[in-house]
Amino acid sequence: MKDSEARSGTALTQAPQFPRRLNTGPAWFWFLLPAGVITLVFFFAPVIITLVISATNMSTITGLTRWEWVGFGNYERLLSLPQTVRRFWITLRYVLFTLVFFNVGMALLIALITTHIPRQLGTFFRAVWLLPRITPVVAYVFMWQIMAAAPPHGVITSNILEPLGGPTGNLLPANAFLFIVLVNGFIGASFGMIIFTSAIESIRQDIMVASLVDGASKLQRIRYIILPQIRWPLLFVTTYQTLSLLTSYEQILVLTGGRWGTEVWALWAFNVGLDDYYGFFQYGLGAAIAAVLVIMGILFALLYMRYFRFNELLHEPRIDVL
Amino acid sequence: MLAKKRGIGFCLAMAMVFSLPSVFAGGAAEPEIEDVELPSELEVTLWSGNAPPDGVDRYRALNLVPAAEAVEQKHGISIRTNPVSDPAGWGDFSRRYNLAAEAGEAPDIVVSGHTDVGLWGAAGYIVPIADSVEEVQQMYPQFDDVIDTLWDAVTWRGQIWGVPQDVDGRPMYFNKILLSEMGWSAQEIADLPERIRTGDFTLEDMIATAADGVEQGVVEPGHGFWHRPAPGGDFVQFYRAYGGEIQDADSGQLVLETEPLREKYDFFRRIVEKDLTPRDIVGTTWDVWHDTVINHDVLFFHGGAWMWAGWLDDGLATEDELFERLGYGLIPSGIPGESGHTLYHPITYMVSSRDATGRPYQQLMIELIAHMTTTELNTRHAVESAHLAILESQLDDPDYLADQFLGDLGYFAEYAYFAPNHPQYGQFIDALFESMVDAERGELSPDEAVDEVVARLRMEIPDLIIR
Repeated sequence: MKDSEARSGTALTQAPQFPRRLNTGPAWFWFLLPAGVITLVFFFAPVIITLVISATNMSTITGLTRWEWVGFGNYERLLSLPQTVRRFWITLRYVLFTLVFFNVGMALLIALITTHIPRQLGTFFRAVWLLPRITPVVAYVFMWQIMAAAPPHGVITSNILEPLGGPTGNLLPANAFLFIVLVNGFIGASFGMIIFTSAIESIRQDIMVASLVDGASKLQRIRYIILPQIRWPLLFVTTYQTLSLLTSYEQILVLTGGRWGTEVWALWAFNVGLDDYYGFFQYGLGAAIAAVLVIMGILFALLYMRYFRFNELLHEPRIDVL
Repeated sequence: MLAKKRGIGFCLAMAMVFSLPSVFAGGAAEPEIEDVELPSELEVTLWSGNAPPDGVDRYRALNLVPAAEAVEQKHGISIRTNPVSDPAGWGDFSRRYNLAAEAGEAPDIVVSGHTDVGLWGAAGYIVPIADSVEEVQQMYPQFDDVIDTLWDAVTWRGQIWGVPQDVDGRPMYFNKILLSEMGWSAQEIADLPERIRTGDFTLEDMIATAADGVEQGVVEPGHGFWHRPAPGGDFVQFYRAYGGEIQDADSGQLVLETEPLREKYDFFRRIVEKDLTPRDIVGTTWDVWHDTVINHDVLFFHGGAWMWAGWLDDGLATEDELFERLGYGLIPSGIPGESGHTLYHPITYMVSSRDATGRPYQQLMIELIAHMTTTELNTRHAVESAHLAILESQLDDPDYLADQFLGDLGYFAEYAYFAPNHPQYGQFIDALFESMVDAERGELSPDEAVDEVVARLRMEIPDLIIR
């Protein structure tokens, strides 16, 4: 009896001792290997390859075998091209407007509204907002093009603007920037919407109800309960969508091809490196343009991680310390 | 401290990337045609760009089948044909071909614009098939039948790099019904192509006529003149119209003449200011564009001869309706007294090199091209797709002669010129187009647009001659 008590006492005060090699030995290596290989092959290698190509004069003329090193030549060219500054500002405006008004702003608004109305209605509206994301890009953009076209083909111009005596030309070129923000925003909003909705719905009901019992209005509850509780999802969506928007160009490519002041940096890299009516692709210069984007992306990521203190999210649970 | 070390490491890595000697950069031998023994069985692949498989240009690829049958009999071999009509546009098709060639998986024969000759020749993707026009004409009787001037389009650095497959004239179309409603007599309308040809009707007259149509209320505002809604080689015609040269004949360098360019941009600005063209016409989808010019009364518009076949194929109008509505002539000059003109952009058969295909049968491919270059096959393609003849014998072919539209455009050959075979012509055209759109929309004045093109091309094409 004493023995057993002593044994159980020992068991309570002493944590089981796992072999030490599990913490420091080769096991961690094997566990990390798959993820490490994927990271190296699909994340680091493309960055290195982009940087290497950006230091060459590789183009259709040189092919992939007859290129020469040009050092920072492509970057010097980039600095002296008249389009560079314009592309930079277009990109900045595009990311900022799409992020603020749609990918975060609209996403948050939809999440808040659809969690404050009857559940089934909320689910229905969120499903509707998913439609742009699940529609094939070409079909989705074609729809916008036809909406914007001049009469008698344009949906907006023929049915709304013309009867009201408004402008009747093709709306797309005159409002190209607005259109690229709308086209991307309607797709992008659903990502944040889903994350915010699930975050709001995971807030403990006793806090939500208690706030109302204590006399808070719905708006006050959003301001003082919901927003602080979904701070981390908000930061995550902002970070992720900024980087995502910086490198997105597919919808813009299909919608405008980069005309009328919509050639964002990523599209510029594509157009220079891989798209030319007569097939002259400047892989080197295109890679240099893309490399700037990679560096911008890394800087943004570091900035967000530092400013939003992502490290705090990664702290080991304090319960282990006890 | 660790961060500092990491920073130094990163900087060192970057320095290595940017200062590595060219240890990886290899050289490639000039592609040559080898004399090899043919295997008893082989597969031949042909890619034809910008041509839907069921469209009017399908014979560019399908002509490989009868040609292969002829060659099989001669050599006693079995050829499996793989003709691919690729609906991708020219830019996408070029990218596909480039990447395939780099991977050593290019098709044996590629059918694309002649403007690819310089670029793909420089890249080593295609082989020269002869060193002179005389040599190529002696290779096969079919090549001797090719209209002499067309060899210029496939000549680069003194060698012949391809065989023309068809020729596409680019007319200025006009709506005869609207002109009639504006008070033009039938004779005046019938004389218009001749007036354009002789320089009696210029771009300035076209603007005045269209403005008159709008003023009379016959022509809807914005429907006086429509140009292409998308980038393309055609716009260089409005630079040539004001006397602009594209290429220096002696050196082969590209030329940019600022005054003709300024006049071109001024033209595109004025057609919008006078309400003859929508300010935002660039970006109109092709479906809308074709429907508008055919069914919604546009007075003048320029396009390709091949569009005629497309309108019929798409059911936009019957041929009788097209003849009733539309007239066509050369692109008017911008200079009074100067004759009109048109850009020819022959589609061309080219033979991929051994490096690009991994196979040494280039000589056989040239022979196959010779067997695709026959009066019967070319006329069938020309009539079906509204392309002009490339063979002297086609001009006497009853089927070709029976086609009124092609017959009407016969005189275009005398006033045609080609885009230059310069590897960087695409950049040249892109820059001119982008600034043209800015000038047309009033975002830049014509002078500013010219300045922008000059600044940009000076950086992009170092050996550009600017006058």
